[in-house]
Amino acid sequence: MAPISQERSRSRWRILDVVAAAVVTIGAIAYLADVLALRWGLNVAYISASYPGYLKAAWISVYVTTISYVLGMGIGFALGWVRSTQARPLVKVLAARRSEAASATAADGGRSDRLFLGTLMLYGFKYYVHRAADAYVAIIRGTPLLVQIVFVWSAVIVYFPRLDPLLQGLLSGIIALTANTGGYQSEIFRAGIHTVHSGQVEAARAMGLSRWGAMRYVVLPQAIRLVIPPLTNEYIGLLKASSLLIAVGSIAELTTYGRFEAFHTAHVFEAFALVSGIYLLITVPASKLIEWVERRFRVPGLGIQAPRTARV
Amino acid sequence: MIRVEDLEKHFGPLHVLRGISLEVQKGEVLVIIGPSGSGKSTLLRCINLLIEPDSGRVFLDGVQVNRRDIRPEWVRQQVGMVFQSFNLFAHLTALENVTLGPIRVLGNDPKVAEAEGRKLLARVGLADKWNVYPAQLSGGQQQRVAIARALAMNPKAMLFDEPTSALDPEYIREVLDVMAALARDGMTMIVVTHEMGFAGTVAKRILFMDAGRIIEEGSPEEIFQHPQQERTRTFVGKILR
Repeated sequence: MAPISQERSRSRWRILDVVAAAVVTIGAIAYLADVLALRWGLNVAYISASYPGYLKAAWISVYVTTISYVLGMGIGFALGWVRSTQARPLVKVLAARRSEAASATAADGGRSDRLFLGTLMLYGFKYYVHRAADAYVAIIRGTPLLVQIVFVWSAVIVYFPRLDPLLQGLLSGIIALTANTGGYQSEIFRAGIHTVHSGQVEAARAMGLSRWGAMRYVVLPQAIRLVIPPLTNEYIGLLKASSLLIAVGSIAELTTYGRFEAFHTAHVFEAFALVSGIYLLITVPASKLIEWVERRFRVPGLGIQAPRTARV
Repeated sequence: MIRVEDLEKHFGPLHVLRGISLEVQKGEVLVIIGPSGSGKSTLLRCINLLIEPDSGRVFLDGVQVNRRDIRPEWVRQQVGMVFQSFNLFAHLTALENVTLGPIRVLGNDPKVAEAEGRKLLARVGLADKWNVYPAQLSGGQQQRVAIARALAMNPKAMLFDEPTSALDPEYIREVLDVMAALARDGMTMIVVTHEMGFAGTVAKRILFMDAGRIIEEGSPEEIFQHPQQERTRTFVGKILR
């Protein structure tokens, strides 16, 4: 415990801190308002009259992003898990099997060869799933999202030419964003699962938990705490990335709507100031919320270190 | 209780176990000593099938358990294991660590498991630490929780893999005391350790391993005072200083 006088002077500094921060923030806002509304002549009347349309467009952005994010989480978790395991190519499995068979004694005849084929297929399957997942992530991470969106969109137009353009756009937008975030989230999950110490899995298996049980009760609860921050960043990133759906044009998401308004009403600055402001209004509270969630579910010794005080 | 016959294990080009056979009676304490890399840990992990042996047989209560038609999980439920690095589940409190197995593996009622868990924590002298996370416990306390966690599964036998090697000297005593009490209560134990005091007083039989083979086997006195093999003599000399 610090002496009281020290404690008091510290709180005095804290108040000064807050005051200084408030002055700087208010000053900055006043200056910005001055520049935007007065010197540039930002049309406040336009903004106050038409912001509901922007909010509706923002809702579509959030909607598309959230659906893609949740679907992508399924893909990401599955791929992440597969890619966090070890898989050996068939040739090596066969070689190991051969040396094992050579050293096995006659008394070991209980192991039948009919199981052999099953094992072989399982190992081979696992290995190729592993490699396919690697390839998928390499493709997703190695090509621009804009290209992926246009690619999917063209495919949708070719295969569903009769579909309503709005549906075409929505469908291709969701498919492209899902595929994209799935690839990135698989990297997050792979890293999270990998970071959980291997001794934890060993201890879980040693008490008789199955592979899935160890994942469900030991690895995941720890991994989730580790992946919450990067997963949140992924959501915020995806929301911003959803602005690339402007290339599709038929979805009235926020950026597309902003461009439409800008070109049709000539309020270019107002439109993009509003668009930027709304993105900020979503992303900043989202990251604040997640900081709170992180604190709430923090466990001593896991992830960010908590103060070492007993909870008893 | 536990019998091992002609166990062989390779890790790639490494021949880790070269024909190990041993037997442990019910209620017996077997101590395994040997230099690092001699295959002691691998042997323990082959017994509860955390590692699948290349060949050879493992028997539990007279039943061969390393067969394809026996689930390794079923074996592991009955053989508890305590690790060198504790491996307590970092996101769970001491009590939750102890009750996870009974609730999730055995399907016991959580209330019952919790009552049992508190009793076990009291047995290892940590009744007041039930709501504390592993990171807030000392090494010795963590290892005692780990022992309680293994006991919660009501195992037929316990495997200890160098349970005191990662501990600061001042915490070794408390863990060894818990283990000695377990042995007195008639638990079947296989202990890999270099604690000669423990080996001498608690174990009936000591087994010296080197390079994947059992070099020598005997009572504590035979191994420590009158080792027959040259390698045993060298190793014991180094340990006893």
